[in-house]
Amino acid sequence: MIETGSASSSLTEVFHTKHGSVQQCDKSHQWLIEFAGKSAKFDYRCLLKLKKAVYSIDIERALLDTAAVPDVEIIFLCACEHCYVLSVAEVIALKELLQGTFVMLELNHLITDCLNRLVY
Amino acid sequence: MKDLIRVRSLISAEIEAVLNQQIKKEAYSSSIYLSMASWCDRNGFDGSADYFFKQAEEERHHQMKLYKYVLDMGGTAISPEITNIKIEYNSFREVFEDALDQEVAITQSFKNIAAKCHKEQDFVTMEFLNWFLKEQREEEYKARRALELFEVIGEEGTGRWQIDKHVGSIKYDSEA
Repeated sequence: MIETGSASSSLTEVFHTKHGSVQQCDKSHQWLIEFAGKSAKFDYRCLLKLKKAVYSIDIERALLDTAAVPDVEIIFLCACEHCYVLSVAEVIALKELLQGTFVMLELNHLITDCLNRLVY
Repeated sequence: MKDLIRVRSLISAEIEAVLNQQIKKEAYSSSIYLSMASWCDRNGFDGSADYFFKQAEEERHHQMKLYKYVLDMGGTAISPEITNIKIEYNSFREVFEDALDQEVAITQSFKNIAAKCHKEQDFVTMEFLNWFLKEQREEEYKARRALELFEVIGEEGTGRWQIDKHVGSIKYDSEA
């Protein structure tokens, strides 16, 4: 994990791909997602909602669907100010970004847990 | 980097998910017992109907206990949707056979959650689960004893009437 930005912003990069990045702000307890040309801050609950919404998209169905309908997915999160309108390729990219993010958060949790046990 | 997920919730996403599944199973159990109470009442087995009404309340209590725990630990407790509740039974005995099957399934489910807690070293949830594991001893004991009444008393003559009278008096008072 790479510390970025000034001390006041205190953003730590959690994960990035060539399509976007996720950074964590320890002060505000939020995550900054840079993806599809926009920056959006998510708190814990909204991040989980975004994960659930993206993971529940049936990508295989969307790719095989030959119906003459727009090839976009609208990701709207309840009680969250952000909304994404993504193509199937972007959905795959966002899913990859979130999967990596949650693996890194889990890894951070495991390491913190081990270190805390040594200290306390 | 702060462990923000840990700050928000004591339990992991996986433990939260299995606890929510258990909440649904307890709610299903409660509904099934209500349905059994209804069948017993409709068929003149008042003692058994009371027994199953009490069981339904107990399962609801278990559901709420799990529900509160998930919320207290910082998780999201999900109110479950319950469908496909059996309404009709072929016999008085079948009701009790199903009740025992239900309790065995619940015990197995708690064992699976306990195994996950051990794997994750989630000793806090494990300690919470101990109450349910002990409770399942009583639940399975009562369901098994009720079914055994069919062997001990027999269903012939006034057998079913006697079974119905005795079901409510089954008690588990082991201190072990």
